[in-house]
Amino acid sequence: MNFQFDNVSGMLHMAGHGIYVWTAVLVTLALIAWLIINPLLQRRHVIEEIAQDVAREQLRQNASRESV
Amino acid sequence: MNWNWNWFYRMGSPRWFYESTSRWLPWLGALTVLLLASGLVWGLAFAPQDAKQGNSFRIIYLHVPASFLALAGYFLMAAAGAIGLIWKMKLSYMVMKCAAPLGAVLTFLALFTGAVWGKPTWGSYWVWDARVTSMLILLFLYMGVLALQYAFDSKDVANKASAILALVGTVNIPIIYKSVDWWFTLHQPATISFTEAPSMHPDMFQPLLVMILGFYCFYAVALILSVRVEILSRERKTSWVRGLVKQATHKNLGAE
Repeated sequence: MNFQFDNVSGMLHMAGHGIYVWTAVLVTLALIAWLIINPLLQRRHVIEEIAQDVAREQLRQNASRESV
Repeated sequence: MNWNWNWFYRMGSPRWFYESTSRWLPWLGALTVLLLASGLVWGLAFAPQDAKQGNSFRIIYLHVPASFLALAGYFLMAAAGAIGLIWKMKLSYMVMKCAAPLGAVLTFLALFTGAVWGKPTWGSYWVWDARVTSMLILLFLYMGVLALQYAFDSKDVANKASAILALVGTVNIPIIYKSVDWWFTLHQPATISFTEAPSMHPDMFQPLLVMILGFYCFYAVALILSVRVEILSRERKTSWVRGLVKQATHKNLGAE
């Protein structure tokens, strides 16, 4: 198993095919990252939503207790 | 014989799914990063170049795994829909719903990497070839399942409609597999077959195998993450989710 290129710029250029190969790599990595990050952000959003629901319910409960 | 179905019902419990995936996710995530990183470096820098296609062939290390998962993901989505229809399992419908956008992105990725591979190899980004066209239909099927989820007011009707479309769409899968044999196409025949030895040289084939495994793990992680969000959202009234949220918000307050 050997490194297939003379140096890093040779690897970037890939004898003229670099533009195609690296475009495919970058788009793939970007989409993979998005598919992981997006549910993590959504998760945070849902947790905040539920926490607000809980706080609101507690306020309502306290208010009804005071009015009694 | 007294067959014990307990495991089946337990697996259908959203809470069970959430709690067990909490334990699996770190390992699965680490394995994904390891496989994808090593497969990519191996394929891009160390695998020998193709005698005919030169370096453009290296796109295979993205194109084939993405296509694999686009197809396997469709089977999973249709199977989840079928289980939902037969056993009315909530979790199964959640898996189906989350598999749709994930599969659509992977199908797009297969088409995109195919297009940038097609330019230096076929001389064109796009050809209306049998394989490419049937993959485009797969993309539309995924988007159809996704659209049906939002087309009805009733969650139940939406789930049933999505599941039926997903099941009907499985007709397209063997067409995609066989398209390269049935029609004369530009697309090269399958690189990997279960019944024959790989037609590729082992030096090229081994990194491809690593990438395919890496994509399977990635798919599992991405699907699990979005099913977990779906579970939290749908089970928001239950005490176990409330307890979880309390813990999570406390942790955040502690960190600030």
